[in-house]
Amino acid sequence: MADGAASKRPLSPHLQIWRFTVTLAASITHRGTGVVLYGGLLLMALWVIGLALNPALFATVSAIIHSPLGFILIAGFVWSLSFHLMNGLRHLYWDSGRGFALKTATMTAWLVYIAATLATALVIWAGYGGSA
Amino acid sequence: MSKKGTSTFILQRASAVLLAPLSIWFLFEIVSALTADYATARAWVAAPWNALLLGAFFIIGALHMRIGLAEIIVDYVHSWAKDVFLFINWLAALGLIAAAAWSIYTLSFAG
Ligand code: HEM
Repeated sequence: MADGAASKRPLSPHLQIWRFTVTLAASITHRGTGVVLYGGLLLMALWVIGLALNPALFATVSAIIHSPLGFILIAGFVWSLSFHLMNGLRHLYWDSGRGFALKTATMTAWLVYIAATLATALVIWAGYGGSA
Repeated sequence: MSKKGTSTFILQRASAVLLAPLSIWFLFEIVSALTADYATARAWVAAPWNALLLGAFFIIGALHMRIGLAEIIVDYVHSWAKDVFLFINWLAALGLIAAAAWSIYTLSFAG
């Protein structure tokens, strides 16, 4: 970059040839759900602190949990954990040196999205006493 | 990744392996626990197996999330702010462990 001429080099064409693949989506979603779970664990800590030490804090957290926002937060947390868990197992399978074939990776990525969504529906339905 | 890249890598995988069964248990229990009233929720956490599994989920989760977010921070932040974020990330994980351990202990033995 020092001689100025270097800045006239052609740019990498990656922005023009980019296209959707489910394996790329899954890897971005793994990172996104990891961050969501980070926030979720911190919110869970507020719940358990309130429960143990501060009834007023528990009442506030509980009011949010029972609001529509609370339902969205819980459903988002459950989907994120389901996805991250299943895709995490996919990662661990790769770490064992298997599952890299493009066809396999594409199939398992779709599988993780579908299974995480089904698991979330089941957890939410059962968790709200089969009435949600 | 840090200079201790290999041990960090192993701890991230080991924590993931432990979190997998804990997460399955957590998914079965958590919605009814979170939506329960005060007395029911206290009794749920104080039940010995729940206290043990919830404590393990929080502590191993805190270690795992700290390593994971540190990796993300190192990927995206290249200025002096990187060290600030990494420090806050440490504090969040330590605070999570302390808060969870203290709360669960209180509910189990002093509640
Ligand atoms: C307790 C809740 C959890 C939190 C807060 C969490 C958080 C994170 C974060 C922030 C990352 C970094 C993502 C990245 O670098 O792109 C990560 C990575 C990872 N997580 Fe989790 N996670 C949790 C549960 C789990 C579970 C249950 C598994 C089960 C297998 C798992 C497996 C993994 C694996 C294998 C990676 C490394 C992915 C890679 O190499 O890019 N995690 N996690």
